[in-house]
Amino acid sequence: MTGDVTGGPLVRIRGLRKSFGSQPVLDGVDLDIRRGEVTVLLGPSGSGKSTLLRSINHLERPDAGFVEVGGELVGYRYQGGRLRELGQRAITRQRARVGMVFQQFNLFPHLTVLDNLVEAPVAVHGRPRSGAEAKARELLDRVGLGGREGAFPRQLSGGQQQRVAIARALAMEPQLLLFDEPTSALDPELVGEVLAVMKDLAESGMTMLVVTHEIGFAREVADTVVFLDGGRIVESGSPAEVLTRPRHERSRAFLAAVL
Amino acid sequence: MSSSDTPTRTLAPPPEPVRDDPERPSDEQLLAARPVPLRRPGRWLTALTLLVLLAMFGHTVLTNPRFQWSVVGDFFLSGSILRGLALTLWLTAAVMASGYLLGIGVAAMRLSRNPVLVSGSFGFVWLLRSVPPLVQLLFWYELASLYPQLSLGIPFGREFVTVRTAHLFSGLLAAYVGLSLDVAAFSSEIVRGGILSVDPGQTEAAQALGLGPVRIFRRIVLPQAMPSIVPASGNLLIGMLKATSIVSVIAVQDLLYSTQLVYNQNFLIIPLLLVATLWYVILTTLLSIGQFFVERHFTRGGRRRDEQGLWRTLRSNAPLLGRASAVDRAGLAGLS
Repeated sequence: MTGDVTGGPLVRIRGLRKSFGSQPVLDGVDLDIRRGEVTVLLGPSGSGKSTLLRSINHLERPDAGFVEVGGELVGYRYQGGRLRELGQRAITRQRARVGMVFQQFNLFPHLTVLDNLVEAPVAVHGRPRSGAEAKARELLDRVGLGGREGAFPRQLSGGQQQRVAIARALAMEPQLLLFDEPTSALDPELVGEVLAVMKDLAESGMTMLVVTHEIGFAREVADTVVFLDGGRIVESGSPAEVLTRPRHERSRAFLAAVL
Repeated sequence: MSSSDTPTRTLAPPPEPVRDDPERPSDEQLLAARPVPLRRPGRWLTALTLLVLLAMFGHTVLTNPRFQWSVVGDFFLSGSILRGLALTLWLTAAVMASGYLLGIGVAAMRLSRNPVLVSGSFGFVWLLRSVPPLVQLLFWYELASLYPQLSLGIPFGREFVTVRTAHLFSGLLAAYVGLSLDVAAFSSEIVRGGILSVDPGQTEAAQALGLGPVRIFRRIVLPQAMPSIVPASGNLLIGMLKATSIVSVIAVQDLLYSTQLVYNQNFLIIPLLLVATLWYVILTTLLSIGQFFVERHFTRGGRRRDEQGLWRTLRSNAPLLGRASAVDRAGLAGLS
C-alpha cells in the first residue's frame, strides 16, 4: 500500500530476469501497464511471454528485478538491502487482486459452474455465500452464460468454459486481468465468442495484459502492443506503430509469419 | 478396381457389368435373406466344459458328507466365533485408520520440497514394502529380545522415562503396529499417485484466485484425486481384512484363530474353516458394495457411470445373472 501514486502505472516491472537452468527466459524486462489500458504481448513461443505474465502473480520467482502492482512489491518486501520473500498469507492476498485466465481454462471439473465462481470469493474475501452466488449469476449473464450455473465444466464447449473462467476471475473483482493465450486451445469457430467477451471487458475499463496470437484483437482492442523476443522487449507502442510499421527486424519477421 | 485416366473425380466406381451367372442371387433375394453370424463352436465348448465343472463342484460341496454343513450351521453364530469376528473387524478398522493417517503424512513428505523428508519417506516405503507383514509382526512381537527396555530422553544423552518392552508389546499391539506400518507404506503410494494424477493447472488456477495451500488441497486437489484413490484403497482394505488372519500366528484371537481354537478341541477342521471362509466372503461382499457407492459418489463432474446402479454394474460383470448390454460390459466397475 506504499507509494501508490494515483495516475501512475498500475503495474511496474523493472529489470526482470529469470532463467530455467542455463536458459535465460526473461533477460531484463521493463514494462509499465497503466490503469484501464489493454496491453497485448506478442512474440514467438519461448520468448518469455508466459513467464512474464506468471511473474506478475508470483507464480514464478524472478532471479532479479521486481514487479509492483498498485505500488506494492509483488512477492517480496525490501529489508536491509535484500528482497525477502513474503509469507504464504501475504502472497495469497496479493494474488487475490490479480485475476488470471489460462490457455487450458483450468476450471475445477468437480465443481459446478456456480461453485467455480463462488469458491474463491467465499474462501478468500469471506463473502456470504448468498451474496457471492448473486454476484456469480450476474457475471454469468455478462459472459452470456446465464442459466448454465448448474452445469459441470465438462458439459460445456471450450468457448463456454473459457467464458466461465473469465467470469471466475472477475468474481474476485481484480484490479488487473492476465490472459495467457486464452484462445489458443479453442476450435476456430469458438474463438470469436471469447474475444467478444474480452473486448466487452476492455471497453468497461478493465486493466488487461493479454498474451495472444490474435493480431486482429490486438489491432482492434489494444492500447499498447509489446513485442517480446528472446526474453527482451524488442518493440512497444500503439498497435498502429508496432503492427503496421514495425521498426525491428525480428517483429517484422514475426508479423509476416503470423499474418 | 477401376483405373481411369479421366481428370474428373468420380465418387463411386463405374457400375460393373452384371454377369450372367445363374447362381447369383437377385437383389430381392439378398434383401429378404437373414444375416447369420459366424458360428463359434469353441466358445460353446468352453462354456459347456466350465458349466459341467461348476455343476460337479456344486454337487460335491452339497453331497460330500465331510463338509459337515450342519456343523457349519452350529458354529456359524456361536459366541467365540462372533467375538473373533468382532476382533477381526475392529483390528482392520484401527489398522486402516492409523495406517492411512500415517500414509497421508508419508505421501505429503514425499511430495514436499524438503530433500530430507523426501528421502525419509522413500526409505520408509522401501523398507516396509520389502518386509513381509508376517515377518514384521514377529519382529514387533519379539521386540523385547531386541530392545529389553525403551527410554524417553535426550538423543544419545540423559534418559527420563524407561519402560520394559516385555510388558509393552502384547500380541495384539504387535499386530496393530506391524499392520498399521504395512498399510501406511502401501497407502502412501496410493495417495501420492492420486495427488500426482491431478493436473497441476488446477493448483495454479486456485493459487491465482488467491486460495491458500490448505484450502487448495482440501477443496480442489483431494476431491479430484479421490476417484483414483478410492478403488485402490478398497483393494487395500479388503486385502487387510483378510491379512489380519496372520495374527493367529501370534495367538491373537481373531476370526481364524477362534475357529482354530474350536477345531483343536473337536477336530472338526473342515467345517470350522468353512465358518471362517463364509464370514470372510460375507464381509468382503459388503465392503465391495460399500466401495461401489463411495466410488459413485466421487465420480462427479458429468463423467460416465454417473447414474449407473449397483444391480446394473453387477450384471455387466457377471452376465449370467441377467442380460447385459455391450455398453455395460465396456465399463467394468469396482465389483470384481
